[in-house]
Amino acid sequence: MAYSSKVIDHYTNPRNVGSFPKNEANVGTGVVGAPECGDVMKLQLKINPENGIIEDARFKTFGCGSAIASSSYVTELVKGKRIEEAIAIKNTSIVKELNLPPVKIHCSVLAEDAIKAAIADWRKRREQASAVVEKKAEEA
Amino acid sequence: MVQCPSCARSQQPRLVCSQCGAPLAVDLDFFAALDLPRVLQTDNATLEANYYDLGRRIHPDRFATAPSEIRDASLRATALLTRAYRTLRDPVSRGLYWLELHDHKLAEDNKQVPPDLAELVFEVQEELSELRALRQHSSDEARQGLLKLRSRRANLQGLLDELYAELFQNFAAFDAGGGRDREQLFAELKTILSKIAYLKSLVRDVDNELR
Repeated sequence: MAYSSKVIDHYTNPRNVGSFPKNEANVGTGVVGAPECGDVMKLQLKINPENGIIEDARFKTFGCGSAIASSSYVTELVKGKRIEEAIAIKNTSIVKELNLPPVKIHCSVLAEDAIKAAIADWRKRREQASAVVEKKAEEA
Repeated sequence: MVQCPSCARSQQPRLVCSQCGAPLAVDLDFFAALDLPRVLQTDNATLEANYYDLGRRIHPDRFATAPSEIRDASLRATALLTRAYRTLRDPVSRGLYWLELHDHKLAEDNKQVPPDLAELVFEVQEELSELRALRQHSSDEARQGLLKLRSRRANLQGLLDELYAELFQNFAAFDAGGGRDREQLFAELKTILSKIAYLKSLVRDVDNELR
């Protein structure tokens, strides 16, 4: 199967690969997998709690070229977007941009799921954090 | 019921006509194609024996001069038999086929990588990328890293073996029928097969580095 030039570009020169430091604030982490092929994808989003804008993103994906390219592209796509806009990103726009063939569509679905999982994690962390703050306030 | 195009006998669908032995072009599930009971604990000896026996009887070489309808049936039946054999002889692909046969999709509601497994994947991948960097200088450290990776590989094999044992337990529970909730067994099967897939893909990366 031939990869499109955009997939090859993202694969050979992935953007925003890596992780944020462990205790970095305002980071949400999504880990998702494709059980059909065993690919695992981790996407981290750094989101400004004041305005809900995604300021930075990192990814680590272990899998085929299309899965790596999909997550690399997604990190570029979400930067500067508001949470609501990022959640609304559909896998079809990833398929279109990267010219993914039908057998690789599940890679784009994985990237879409990773965005949602990372945002869900960020929200959960915020709730937990505010619960702690409230508890401390009560105690004080 | 199907009718044999050679001898016109009407019969239950099989790959071979029960009366004249001509190949039949029929749609069968893989268990039926191999003349096996629809159970997950496949008897490998019977699987092999049926595959070779049926394969000989419907082999396209035997029907090279037969009418085109029968020649065509022989090709189609042989293709089906081969696919059935390849799918059912491996327990993982057999389990996946079982899901498919019962309208369960492996990936449906199943995107979450079990956290401990995800942690393992990232940890081992981290070791792999460290080792790749070290190997560019062929240092003592790289040798050490390689030794560590070998023991890691053995460790992963142990985990994989455990998962296969779980898979066979799940197969046995399905075959025993009754008792446990079947939906629960399907969910369990999906989880086991997913874990095996993640682990196998990790093992593949490790093996590439060890090669």
